Amino acid sequence: MEEKWTYWFEELGKDAIWVAGKKCANLGEMARAGLPVPPGFAISIRAYERFVEETGAAQEIRDYFRDLGDGPKNILVYEKASREIREIVQSKAIPPDIQETVAQYYQALSERCGASDLPVAVRSSGPVSMPGQFDTYLNVIGVEELNGKIVECWASTFTSQAIAFRAQKGMPVESSPIGVAIQRVVNAKSAGVGFTIHPTTGDWSKMVVEGLWGMGEAVVGGATTPDRFVIDKETSSVEKSVSAKPKQVVLKGKGTGIEDVPTEKQNVPCLEDGELQRLLELGKMLEKHYGGPQDLEWVVARDLPFPANVFLVQTRPVTTAKEKHTTTDTIIDLMLGNVFKR
Amino acid sequence: MYDITPFELDEQRDLEHYDVWLLDGTHSIPPMTPLSGWAWVQYCRSGMQYGAEMLSLPTCKGWDWRLHDHCIYLTPLVVTSEEEVKQREQVFRQRIAPIIEDYDKVWQGYVKEMLAMYDHAKSLDLEKASNIELMEHFEELMHINKRVWDIHMFMMYAVDGVFILFENICKTLLGIDDTNPTFHKLVRGFDNEIFQADRKLWQLSKRAIELGIADVFQSSKPNEVLPKLEGSEAGRKWSKELYAFIDQFGWRTARIFEYAEPSWVEDPSPAIMNVKQYLAKGGDFNLDDERKVLAEEREAAEKDVLSRVSEEQKGWFTALLRLAQRSSAFSEEHNLYIDLYATAVIRRGLLAIGNRLAAAGTIGHRDDIFFLIPDEIRRVCIDPANHDLRPLVARRRENWAGSLKREHPPLIGKIGFEEAVGLLVRSVDPIALKIVVGSLPVPRPELKADLYGTCGSPGIAEGRARVVYVYEDLINVQEGEILVAPATYVSWTPIFSLIKGVVVDRGASLSHAAIVGREYGIPVVMNVFTGTSAIKNGQTIRVDGNLGTVHILG
Repeated sequence: MEEKWTYWFEELGKDAIWVAGKKCANLGEMARAGLPVPPGFAISIRAYERFVEETGAAQEIRDYFRDLGDGPKNILVYEKASREIREIVQSKAIPPDIQETVAQYYQALSERCGASDLPVAVRSSGPVSMPGQFDTYLNVIGVEELNGKIVECWASTFTSQAIAFRAQKGMPVESSPIGVAIQRVVNAKSAGVGFTIHPTTGDWSKMVVEGLWGMGEAVVGGATTPDRFVIDKETSSVEKSVSAKPKQVVLKGKGTGIEDVPTEKQNVPCLEDGELQRLLELGKMLEKHYGGPQDLEWVVARDLPFPANVFLVQTRPVTTAKEKHTTTDTIIDLMLGNVFKR
Repeated sequence: MYDITPFELDEQRDLEHYDVWLLDGTHSIPPMTPLSGWAWVQYCRSGMQYGAEMLSLPTCKGWDWRLHDHCIYLTPLVVTSEEEVKQREQVFRQRIAPIIEDYDKVWQGYVKEMLAMYDHAKSLDLEKASNIELMEHFEELMHINKRVWDIHMFMMYAVDGVFILFENICKTLLGIDDTNPTFHKLVRGFDNEIFQADRKLWQLSKRAIELGIADVFQSSKPNEVLPKLEGSEAGRKWSKELYAFIDQFGWRTARIFEYAEPSWVEDPSPAIMNVKQYLAKGGDFNLDDERKVLAEEREAAEKDVLSRVSEEQKGWFTALLRLAQRSSAFSEEHNLYIDLYATAVIRRGLLAIGNRLAAAGTIGHRDDIFFLIPDEIRRVCIDPANHDLRPLVARRRENWAGSLKREHPPLIGKIGFEEAVGLLVRSVDPIALKIVVGSLPVPRPELKADLYGTCGSPGIAEGRARVVYVYEDLINVQEGEILVAPATYVSWTPIFSLIKGVVVDRGASLSHAAIVGREYGIPVVMNVFTGTSAIKNGQTIRVDGNLGTVHILG
């Protein structure tokens, strides 16, 4: 395998899952296709592997599990293991040459975005889906903090859930190589999801966009019916259903927090007409690139001019209403197709 | 004989409109008393049309019914226009969804409703009730009759439809059909209400041994047992326990919707007969162990089939399997909550009216009430002494007694049996296919069998034949015999723990004989049509559930 510690997203593609994990591969595929993803780079899986071997962390973890023995384990055992192994991993420093490369990429990214020390998001990017999702750190500023968060991301593969899951599946417990995505933080004005076909009726002539003010996450404990926009792909006409949005999720420190939406904005659509048309344009690009209807996630930045403020952060093939069929529908379909058929 | 119902078969006119009328041999052989036949053709028929309509069954609107010589004849109301089928399909989607999503919630809701109706009806003091109150009670009973049939058929159409789907899916997805033991293992071994009654009876037999009174049962006829038990303290103790059982499980008659049959509440002899039979089986027989084996076999079979279903199909297949298991249990449970319970509660009221009419001389005897129809009861109930219905009863009684001896053709129509079955297939009526009519046996001369039928429950057994027409004959059944009957009924269930196999003239995979045979793990051959006439008591026969054959060995 090529010894490369960092990749620009544009260098990766959908086949790069084992190079830098799923998230990075997907972002890379989108960036390559000319879609506006927040810019960034990936730390390779190989870098993780070198880190754990070279620092002796891997050996210490193997010893730890050997001492633990094969006996039956409960969640307390895994929680203790998780705590202690994370401590082992976090006590190690990234090899100096990797640190150097990371610093170079970080600086280049900052320059690209016209900042000196660009606030970035650091996210784990595993090659396979794991339960007990690994951590995400927002608003990471400066090389030193960045190095610390990368190590924390690596250490996060040893959550008690992840250890227990790997032990149950007979996967090696001492390591679970992952990539890391370093990406410009988008201070979201609004965010949400979109479907390039109507997700319930399966109508190919419609695109459906849903969104909320802020980071777009559902506000815990509050009524969070999103605004819904049905866009006709032919005529570009939009049908809006706007909901009251009293709360929003905003960036706060290294994470997020909940704030009140100013009263005058609560009943205003979270997307302007231009932004909607831009999303329609991007939706069509996605369909063309991936060759089928897509289920996407979007963000509109607070602090950038239109149209550079509209970003895509995720896309996957849409599960249409037909595919999303509940068990009940499947059984009814079978009854109609198999029993009451003559 | 238009004086019983407007549903008497008019062989000329009814055959102009319909091609064929099929005998419901499962339910109306032997022929029903006039009042029972009247109620059956009124409410079971309207319930069927209600169920098909409420569920918006795509291909069938229920059946039309006729009475002919005290037997029931049926013809399916097939939806002929494909456009209408399409429209009905759309409504069907919405109507069946709640049952598929949460069967228990729907069914338990209905059970609650019905038990409340029965409780209300039972709360009337019949001795003290005035004639007017009895009249009102009669109308209440007829309302119960209508409502329980509506529920019965709505649920049954849904549940049987699911079961057919499960059978088909097992065939196409797993390559196992209903002659494969795995299929039967998958849907049996659940602890349903009917089985709980059997267990209580079995426990009562153990109790009789404990109390040292088992010999009373062995040396006496069922109706002599209770008086003899009155002589000892242990005996009185046992009787008390029996009555506690009867209170809970005794609202049942020997035959569903035949009001002329006594219920266990009036006469617990059938329960005592079952206890006798459990005692005859000997001390080491353990019903619970047998059930446990079935439950374990089911779990193993589930594991086996689920390992053969792909990941994508596992979700809906598992849900379908659970529903099919519920379907099998429903087939037994609905009998308890609807067929048996309603019959017993209605009979209770009818007997009170019968007593009142007999006392006034309107009829000669209490049981003559079963030879009247509702409008006649309404006519005389408030002032019975001014009416004499004895000649009418005598005429009907004579006619009915004659019908017991007469032959009843399996179909009346312009077309033959095979074409008639084709019509049923076109109706895709789940109840017709799964309970009443079943599939047509295919004679296979190479097997050199004496009778050809279909598989109700797999397995092979050889033994002495015992031909039983009516419930009272069950007392003659000896352990290890093979039961031969026109059909079996839910009150016959306990006998299945004694016998080695079953042959029934009529039935399909969700009729009583199949379900209970499956639960007891004995072979059942169904739809042989002429079993009760071809097989003689005491002959040795071999039944092969897998092949659906019966050999008479001599």
